[in-house]
Amino acid sequence: MAMLDDKVMQDVKKALEKMVKPVTLELFSQAFECGYCKETHQLLEEVSAASPLLKLNVYQFESDEEAVKKYGINKIPAIAIVGEKDYGIRFYGIPSGYEFSSLLAAILMVSTGITKLSAEAKAFLDKLQKPVHLQVFVMPTCPYCPPAVMLAHQMAFYSDKVKADMVEIGEFPPLTQRYSVEGVPRTVINEKWFVEGAAPEAMLIAKITEAL
Amino acid sequence: MLDFKLHLDDAVEPDQLFDLIIIGGGPAGLTAGLYAARYKLKTLMIEKSVMSGGQLVTTEWVENYPGFPEPILGEKLAKDMEDQAKLFGLEVVREDVLSVKLSGDIKEAKTAANTWKAKTILIATGSSPRHLGIPGEAEYSGKGVSYCATCDGPFFPDKVVAVVGGGNSAFEEALFIAKYARKLYLMYVKDGLIADPILQERVAAEPKIELIPNTVVEKIVYEDSPRYIQIRNQDSDEQSKLETDGIFIFIGAIPNTDLFKGQLELEGGYVKSYPNNGTSVEGVWAAGDVQEKTLRQVATAVGDGANAAFAIHKYLMFKKD
Repeated sequence: MAMLDDKVMQDVKKALEKMVKPVTLELFSQAFECGYCKETHQLLEEVSAASPLLKLNVYQFESDEEAVKKYGINKIPAIAIVGEKDYGIRFYGIPSGYEFSSLLAAILMVSTGITKLSAEAKAFLDKLQKPVHLQVFVMPTCPYCPPAVMLAHQMAFYSDKVKADMVEIGEFPPLTQRYSVEGVPRTVINEKWFVEGAAPEAMLIAKITEAL
Repeated sequence: MLDFKLHLDDAVEPDQLFDLIIIGGGPAGLTAGLYAARYKLKTLMIEKSVMSGGQLVTTEWVENYPGFPEPILGEKLAKDMEDQAKLFGLEVVREDVLSVKLSGDIKEAKTAANTWKAKTILIATGSSPRHLGIPGEAEYSGKGVSYCATCDGPFFPDKVVAVVGGGNSAFEEALFIAKYARKLYLMYVKDGLIADPILQERVAAEPKIELIPNTVVEKIVYEDSPRYIQIRNQDSDEQSKLETDGIFIFIGAIPNTDLFKGQLELEGGYVKSYPNNGTSVEGVWAAGDVQEKTLRQVATAVGDGANAAFAIHKYLMFKKD
């Protein structure tokens, strides 16, 4: 049975008509000890069939060491959204529920080059000296989460210094403890700094500044 | 069961003059959008969240909106409202409005990426959850203190949770959170029990929920282990500690009017209502929870939205002459 029903599939096709440049979905999967690898694989098969500009590569987490290292993958399922280059845009866990919009938004951004960052944010990112790692913890049932994910992914797209992950916390219970996640969205900056909620751009920038 | 929701921006050309900009995509904004699009007004709706619907999106079931004898999922109703409006040509961008210019013939709404311009503006920004304003609340927001059951309810499986509030939201959300929690204390202040009787009956039938009436929460002490909240009974004035892993707060709402302060007349924080959903500024209307009125429901928001769109349509016709 298809993951995406006809109505959603139609919407996906229509959305992907806006694609300009090709995009590759690099999926890291494993046949065992992985909650949603199978479902994520099927989802990406269906999404990538919706546009001739989308390509899917599937790697095995346990055996494709070179790719795992190249993309810095540390948990599965993982998706890297890659265009002309790898921008550091990652999805850990299946992008279902509201996060499906984040997946499509990332594909379209990489393909079209269009972000919604303000001039101030771009100026800030241009001046970044040190690397920034944003991990946005989400639940698929959280409608406030995608804006936080999309903002982080936009920063990763714009700046080589930034990498940004969506992390579906339900699939990685140990991380709940490690990053003390009791509410979503929660954005972790460079492992140590936190922002609760869907922070507006200026607030996230202020927190990143604090973290550096 | 996995589901996949797709809500993306429409590709909207920024350098154009709209007839109407609707700020906020809840039921009021969506209804105004539907009506305005059918009046053939060039209409843009700006919604800050990834999906339209406002508070509908975080409401699990809607039972008091007519036409749906089976309860309808809030997010489904919201999505259907948006699809319907878009069918007639409403354009939607998902951006956060940072500032507005309400005066003059050309109004502006500025977001991080764009400055949108229109002849008229409809304010439909709704409201946000009211906070208790007690020690520990801000510090532990997102770390045990929550205002969104669908977002954070699943973080409390088999845990003990407090829900604060005596209105419909508190009672509905308590029933939702009770699916996860082991034990739930539902507390409200003196004379604060205003939930619909049907919801009170359902709460009474849920064995996990214990009601604690006539009680205020004074302090959230979550740095300690075990975590507790300090509560006070308003009859006996007795203070006590209640161990809870999380606390959900549903004590009403505050209008989202910060953007407009100093530019139009407010009353008690809400946008002051004039006939036909007008405001104190020419070319600016308000609809839904953000306006000063008595009942804030999907059904009343929808009526406001239709009213406002009709008034705007008439105003623009008159302006053309």
